[in-house]
Amino acid sequence: MAIVAQHTKFSKVAWPVLAWAVGLLFFFPIFFMVMTSFKTDADAVKPEFLFRFTPTLENYTNMTNNYDYWRFATNSVITSVTATLFTLFVAVPCAYAMAFNPSRGTKDILMWMLSTKMLPAAAVLYPMIFMAKSLGIYDTKFLIVMVLSLINLPIAVWMLFTYFKDIPKDIIEAGQMDGLNTWGEVREILIPLAWGGIASTALLVFIFCWNEAYWTVRLTTIDAATLSKLIEGNRAPEGLFFGRLSAVSTAAVGPIVVLGWFCQKQLVQGLTFGAVK
Amino acid sequence: MANRTIPRLLQTPAIVLLLFWMLVPLSMTLFFSFIRYVLASTNRPEWTSPSISNWRGFGNYQYVWNQDSFWLAIQNSLLIVCSILFLTVILGVAIAILINRTFPGRGIVRVLLISPFFVMPAVNAVLWINMLLDPVLGLQGAAVAGANDLVALLRDAPVVGSFFSLWPQFEPISFRATQTSAYAVIMMVTWQWTPFAVLILMTSLQSEDQQQKEAAILDGASRWSQFRFLTLPHLARPIAIVVMIQAIFHLSLYAEIEIVSRGNGNKNLPYYIGELVNNNIGAASATGIFAVILANIVAIFLLRMLGKALME
Repeated sequence: MAIVAQHTKFSKVAWPVLAWAVGLLFFFPIFFMVMTSFKTDADAVKPEFLFRFTPTLENYTNMTNNYDYWRFATNSVITSVTATLFTLFVAVPCAYAMAFNPSRGTKDILMWMLSTKMLPAAAVLYPMIFMAKSLGIYDTKFLIVMVLSLINLPIAVWMLFTYFKDIPKDIIEAGQMDGLNTWGEVREILIPLAWGGIASTALLVFIFCWNEAYWTVRLTTIDAATLSKLIEGNRAPEGLFFGRLSAVSTAAVGPIVVLGWFCQKQLVQGLTFGAVK
Repeated sequence: MANRTIPRLLQTPAIVLLLFWMLVPLSMTLFFSFIRYVLASTNRPEWTSPSISNWRGFGNYQYVWNQDSFWLAIQNSLLIVCSILFLTVILGVAIAILINRTFPGRGIVRVLLISPFFVMPAVNAVLWINMLLDPVLGLQGAAVAGANDLVALLRDAPVVGSFFSLWPQFEPISFRATQTSAYAVIMMVTWQWTPFAVLILMTSLQSEDQQQKEAAILDGASRWSQFRFLTLPHLARPIAIVVMIQAIFHLSLYAEIEIVSRGNGNKNLPYYIGELVNNNIGAASATGIFAVILANIVAIFLLRMLGKALME
């Protein structure tokens, strides 16, 4: 017994220490990027001085001059927000119908929707460029919004479906007894009850839109270029601009990382399509 | 039944949109893969527009199949995907168990751990290849220099000095080179996706049967056998899901490859297609069809598993 007791005492200290060490290790690259963003470009190439440098805000104040940051950021915000709203606008009715009036084919439709997500983007790259150019919508925000919506639609339908499925059917039926029509059901029952689910779906879709790096890089040049494109375009600064590049990177990921902290739990459901709860 | 019309109507927009997304570009790829189609050709200008009269049959497939670079791209794709899967699952299980216990500040550790997952891939790659892994100006350069200084210091130490004097100078590694750039990609994606594995495995650990575990402890089962015979079987399904979802995501890795090396000797399948798209559309489309087949092999398994879980 004595051995067991000692073992527990040891692990009472070692366990948290190890857990904290792992957590800090994983966070370190982000921390390092944030610290570098407060260094001048000359200090930024001396990574050994993690704390010993004179902090400066000039990398942030010069973001517009150096990289035209706000133009790319505005594009990112516009395309991500619009795509999220459009995705929900299409996905909510679909998931609602599937959850409350499932037919024999519902399961197959859901599976099929998911399988579209597995289509490798690269395989349809040229047709997309071809179509966009012949329709004259290449490098427009409209095109990016449509593509972002389409690639996230299956995830949104799945997530919403798993939330709606948990709402008891009796409540909807009671509403029907009271003479509510479909729109009434949605407004009076579904939205108040599934508000949390809809919000976290929106959050997750927004994060995916913001971080998307394949289509936004390949289907834009200037007008609709997002932050992914901006960062990708400055991929190899050869040490000259580590400070300012860190600042613009921090500004690009900071809000999303913080948003992500609030939807960890929903992330599991959303990313595993409800298979792990 | 009038009852059925409204639900059908509500589903129509989503289904039509996805049907378009699924069918139109893919059938174009399929068509292009069977014709001679290049973007610029002075000798054969008739090949520069997609037309049925340029029919080539399986010629593009044959051409791609016989390219060494195609097989290198497949090999590289598989190397990158398999290494990432291996590392994220091992690390994911270990870390999930580590933070499944209560300890002071657990909430903060969880937040720290999950953060890398939300970093956009472009920033992830730029951050790692420049600020962290650059052999001269990045953290790697500083770390290697520090290690060399330490060894030099220890050479003069009384007892262990003779041992350390046998050590060579450490050389920093350039991760932009042909042979090493795949490792840089593996490292940065593992950093980003281990949190995903941790999150899912931890969620699953919380639903583990505690009574069973207590019974095992009463029976005197060791830590290892508890893990081996209770926890691991319980995690089998979430691990399978983690593996398959990641496989699908990582088969289409692009930004990281582009930023690390511009595909310098380290092309994966999407990057290879991206290069072909600059001129040889026929070959790019045939490669695309190969990529679809590869992804489908993974997808079939995933869909089967999810199908079982779906209606529970």
